[in-house]
Amino acid sequence: MGELASYRLSDFILFSQTVYYRQFELYNQLVWPLHILAIIFALITIYALWKKPVWGGRLVALILVVSWLWVAWAFLYQRFYQIHVVADWYAFGFVLQAGLIIWYGLIKNRLTLFVRSQLKIKIGSALLFVAYAVYPFIAYINGRSWVQFEMFALAPDPTVLASLGILLFYKVPIVLYVIPIVWALLSASTLIVM
Amino acid sequence: MTMKNQHNMSRRYFLQLMGLGASGLIVPQYTQAGTDSLITKSIPSSNEQIPVIGLGSSRTFNVGNDQLALDNVTEVMRHFFKAGGQLIDSSPMYGSSQSAIGYALKKLVKTKNVFSADKVWIGDSEQGSEQMQTSREYWNLDSFDLMQVHNLVAWQAHLKILFRMKQQGKIRYVGITTSHGRRHDELAGIMKTQSLDFVQFSYNILDREAEQILLPLAKQRGIAVIINRPFQRGDLIHALKNKPLPEWSNTIGCKTWPQFLLKFVASHPAVTCVIPATSQVAHVKENMQACYSPLPDQAMRRRMIDYVEKII
Repeated sequence: MGELASYRLSDFILFSQTVYYRQFELYNQLVWPLHILAIIFALITIYALWKKPVWGGRLVALILVVSWLWVAWAFLYQRFYQIHVVADWYAFGFVLQAGLIIWYGLIKNRLTLFVRSQLKIKIGSALLFVAYAVYPFIAYINGRSWVQFEMFALAPDPTVLASLGILLFYKVPIVLYVIPIVWALLSASTLIVM
Repeated sequence: MTMKNQHNMSRRYFLQLMGLGASGLIVPQYTQAGTDSLITKSIPSSNEQIPVIGLGSSRTFNVGNDQLALDNVTEVMRHFFKAGGQLIDSSPMYGSSQSAIGYALKKLVKTKNVFSADKVWIGDSEQGSEQMQTSREYWNLDSFDLMQVHNLVAWQAHLKILFRMKQQGKIRYVGITTSHGRRHDELAGIMKTQSLDFVQFSYNILDREAEQILLPLAKQRGIAVIINRPFQRGDLIHALKNKPLPEWSNTIGCKTWPQFLLKFVASHPAVTCVIPATSQVAHVKENMQACYSPLPDQAMRRRMIDYVEKII
């Protein structure tokens, strides 16, 4: 632990921007046509938050569980771990979050009580907009090849942002926010120091 | 050296590269600090000569299983070898860099000319042997030339194992590394008490802390020195790229800032090898040219520092 404390975050970012974004390009080629399923997932969550059907909470929870587990396995462990020595821990965190959503969302059915705070709803809507509408074009917007796009349920950042946005619509335990917020901070730091 | 001589030297080197490149073979000339031959320095513990410019692999060779990027790594290494380069340094910490090197070595069938330098980087020393075995498999090598303890991690236990491996002929040299100016005091203590062949740390024209203790100590103790991050991980080149090179840089054969910065580091009397990392063929060619012209003397080194500190 003493040695570990002497490292800075930049010491662990041992890949270049080019290689990092190329991972998304290769990943998108590999998982196609799962993108269509990801769009369906996104549309279902929007419908569930908008119309609030009785089955909505558990279905949204199921979509989140599948998304977090898929990202953990297919992107973080299978691909990102090749270039990032701590990505297996990231994958573990995503699995843990999936476990929490299984417990609170599927077993305890806590994604049924909606918040009344307009602020939370507005922030949640903004996060969903960024995750669903901006991230698929983020590579193009940043001047990279459009095939390096990132989508909810397939890539970590839009999945985390969408999850935070969705959770803000519900009265859920704070513990569900911990891993998404830690990831958001970690990912932002990585993108800055990369 | 006059401008005319410089041009002749460059032209001669270029033609040499072209001619030998066409035949697919370059035989470097191992002479000490010659004007038109590969500059090599001696490893004090064996007197073996190695070229003063090596190749790092942190970040640049960590490309995963991306076929295009792996082929690019192969091209970088091909040009490194063609220019006479030998020492390649890696670590289990560098993600997929080791396997990228192994991929390239297999493609180039050039392993006999590699001076392989890797590291053991694991807190539990009992797992060190397994990690080194995995590294050998990644590199496609039977044994490493140099094995270093990475960033002083569990160094007491690892060094014992490495010294035993050296006695058994499983490795040729033992070393220890740090970077970014970390834990210099502890490193100095190890250098004073252990029979190291190599030590590796960061040093560049702006970060010269190593000149105070580590470099003189290495010279005194007869320890070869590998320098990492000669460009401050690219920050120095970024800061200098729009600044003019001094006219007098011609006298030491520098046509670009990277060459200028490499010459500065390589010219320290205690430095054995500098290991810039790059993922670009043009850059490895440029870096290796710094291995083929005179190194600055002490007065010139002072002039280089003054100039850079003035413009940066």
